[in-house]
Amino acid sequence: MTITFILNGEDVSVRAASGDRLVDVLREDFGLLSAKADCRKGTCGKCLVLVDGRLVPSCMIPAFKIRGREVVTLEGYVQTMEYEDLRKGIEEAGLETCGFCESGLILALGSLLESSARPTREEILETISSVQCRCTDPETTISAALAAADHRSRRTYRRGRQ
Amino acid sequence: MVASEIHYPATIAELIDLHRENPSLLLYAGGTEILRERGGRFVDLPPVIALLDGIAELRTIHRTEGFVDLGAGLKISELLAIRKGTLPDPFVRSLRGIATPAIRNLATLGGNLATRRRFMDTWSILACLDATVELRDSAGPRWVNVNRLADEEGKPALPVGTLLTKVRLPLEAWTHSIARKVGNPAWPSDESATFSAIARIEKNIVISLRMAWAGTTAFRFPELEGRVVGLRLPIDPLDRSDIVEAFAERAAELDPTAASRLARIVDATLELLGR
Repeated sequence: MTITFILNGEDVSVRAASGDRLVDVLREDFGLLSAKADCRKGTCGKCLVLVDGRLVPSCMIPAFKIRGREVVTLEGYVQTMEYEDLRKGIEEAGLETCGFCESGLILALGSLLESSARPTREEILETISSVQCRCTDPETTISAALAAADHRSRRTYRRGRQ
Repeated sequence: MVASEIHYPATIAELIDLHRENPSLLLYAGGTEILRERGGRFVDLPPVIALLDGIAELRTIHRTEGFVDLGAGLKISELLAIRKGTLPDPFVRSLRGIATPAIRNLATLGGNLATRRRFMDTWSILACLDATVELRDSAGPRWVNVNRLADEEGKPALPVGTLLTKVRLPLEAWTHSIARKVGNPAWPSDESATFSAIARIEKNIVISLRMAWAGTTAFRFPELEGRVVGLRLPIDPLDRSDIVEAFAERAAELDPTAASRLARIVDATLELLGR
């Protein structure tokens, strides 16, 4: 079947089998390798992407379910201003992510800041529970998220004043 | 691997027609349990699938003074985003215990209730709240108590060919609620289960108490709950021990592996209510 959807801001079509998972379509048909297929049970968080702005494990979505939807992977997210805020926050906090969790963690924090301008510690911990990686300590991740929230609010304030 | 035929119905009526024409139709909502069970690179799905995402009737919320109706297609994260005070607090607390935020962005209320292999997280709290569900088939809609989703042996009993379209929660005030998960909290297995208890306590006396268990079997014993009503807190240790034993005996009739675990949780719950 042919599935048409929006991928990182562009209209795309792909031929996929009914048994294909989104993560495999992204990697094999579009060469987008930031989402990694590991557990294939939605638990590890290495395949997280944004579908219509919501954080979801792409291994738990059959390709036919994304017809007409908007999918953003890390490759698309790094082109945004929101990522710039997050990058600055991560640098300031000294957060070092590993290659496995980086994509999921960034998209998880990005989706959180989209829904909550000044998230609480509990909200941050709850959000990062979607990513099962132990290479980063939660306190540093919390600091990174709060610093990113500051950058984001300063940027949107400046833009509002212009 | 079979190439499945995918349908995208826009109304419940369309879905019911489709179901009548294809009795083995797979209803695909969040799909978290379906894909988790299958694993692997390619997912082997049935030949005909109906994706429920486009049916607006499955996503409605309607609140009156006495109850709130929730469309079965609402995602768990959408339910958690509803304004505070709209849904009963014990229900919201149970929803927060479901999987991770990313999974809650996919999983739906109806999917959580309609799995046929085992009971998922919401059954026990809905049984405590005396929730009812709207079932639909070609004969039309009907409302039944959520208990009817379990048969006499406590096993899942949603009839094949029946759609679960709405969940109705009575809006009553409860002073206490307790939710416990047994087994791996991230993902259900045959060893995992959920336990819910809600109570109304006034002047240290138990006015009302409901407790339910849901794993591979699901049950609630109103006649045993009644033995706690009217007792002063903290409950006398001998009375408590008798009540716990009675729960364990009844549970053992349905699920011997659950009996001892249920006994420990009921004991802890009764103790907790007295603090």
